[in-house]
This record gives sequence, C-alpha cells and structure tokens, in this order.
Amino acid sequence: MKYAALLTNNADEVAAWERLTPEEAAAARANEVPKWEALFGELGPTGVLGDGFELDSPTTAKTVRVRDGETVVTDGPFAETKELIGGLMEIEAEDLDAAIAIAARIPVVFTASVELRPVIEH
Amino acid sequence: MQYLALIYGDEARWENLSTGQREAEMGEYTALSQADVTRGGNELDSTATATTVRVRGDETLVTDGPFAELKEALGGYYVFECDSIDEACTWAAKIPAARHGAIEVRPVYADGGEPS
Repeated sequence: MKYAALLTNNADEVAAWERLTPEEAAAARANEVPKWEALFGELGPTGVLGDGFELDSPTTAKTVRVRDGETVVTDGPFAETKELIGGLMEIEAEDLDAAIAIAARIPVVFTASVELRPVIEH
Repeated sequence: MQYLALIYGDEARWENLSTGQREAEMGEYTALSQADVTRGGNELDSTATATTVRVRGDETLVTDGPFAELKEALGGYYVFECDSIDEACTWAAKIPAARHGAIEVRPVYADGGEPS
C-alpha cells in the first residue's frame, strides 16, 4: 500500500530556527543532513521510498482561497498548529504496521510527528 | 522551482454533493493532474484513516487520527513546477477546494527531496 507521510516540525523549534543567522542555520542544517542521509541510504535500496519533498519554512507559505470568483492570497500557512508540516514522503509499505516502523525512524518523529495517510490510487 | 499545493477542505462536504457535482469537480481535478505545470500529487484517504507516530525516549507512540484536528482537513496535494510562488498560487486558485476550503502553497526546499 502507498502511504503519504506528513513530516511535521515542532512550531517552537521552527520559530527558533527562524531566529538563527544564516551561518548558524547552515551549521544546524549540516548537523541534520547525516541523519537523513543515513535513513535514505538504508531505505533507498529497499524501494519503500517514493517521492519526497522537503518544504521551505512555513513563513514562506501562501494560502489561497477563492470566494465569489475572487482569489484571495494571504501570507503564512493555512493553520497555526503546535506542529507544522515541513515535508512529505511517499512510502510503499505492506501494511500500516510496516509503514509505522518506517515512520518511527524518520528524524522528525523524535521531536514532532509523522502522520501516515493511505493514498487513494486512481 | 517546485511548489507543493496542500489542499484543505471540509471532509463532510463531499458526502452532500450530488453525483453531477462530484463528477464536475473530479473532472477539474483530473484536468489539473494533467496540466503542464503538474509534476505529481496524491489524493489522501480521509483523516479517519490517519495514524500519527511519535517517538519519545525509547517509546513509539502511535495514535489514531491526524497530527492536528482542524475544521478543514488536508485531503491531498499537487506538485507544481512554476517560475514563482505567485504563478503557483494562480494554479492553486484553479483547485476546486480553493472555492470552499483553502490551498496552502509551499516552496520545496531548493536541494530538498530525495538524494539522487
């Protein structure tokens, strides 16, 4: 079965990240990269990973609504929640338990969460 | 640049549409799936099927339901290839859910995604 894994980040951590200087952010990022490379390196060859998207910060989001034929665009994410979507991965897993086992290894799961949603195949 | 258009809407609304209305909307979604700017996307099963995973210490905590309860739920997404976020927003406005829910447009991090 195909699942979409919604990767969230803790909103406080996102806010702290926003306050970093570009140099600090680069260093923090360099610290994170090996964890992801290890995961991709291990799971990549098994074929369980589909497309993946790392999203830019929620502060770069725009939210679009159309009301009475008029397009209204606002800055910021759709909802201000305690955890914010920061990425998305497609996972091919035998069943939900197998998907959970993969989700439990995605680096964001230790400080925020991974939401698994079955994909409707058309 | 790639942009993710996250589609939020009222899940109960679909149940109340007539067959004709559903077919018309599905037609719009299919047309968007085939648009030149579209690089991918998925329809997600309802939030009733969602499972949220957290690991704290050595413990894996699995809960039923989405990571956050919202009045309008994430129901799917498109991946658009556009020159700017404004162009991506123009495409987002064509998504039927923009007329009753909302579309969150997010730039994909420049070197994000899977390593090749």
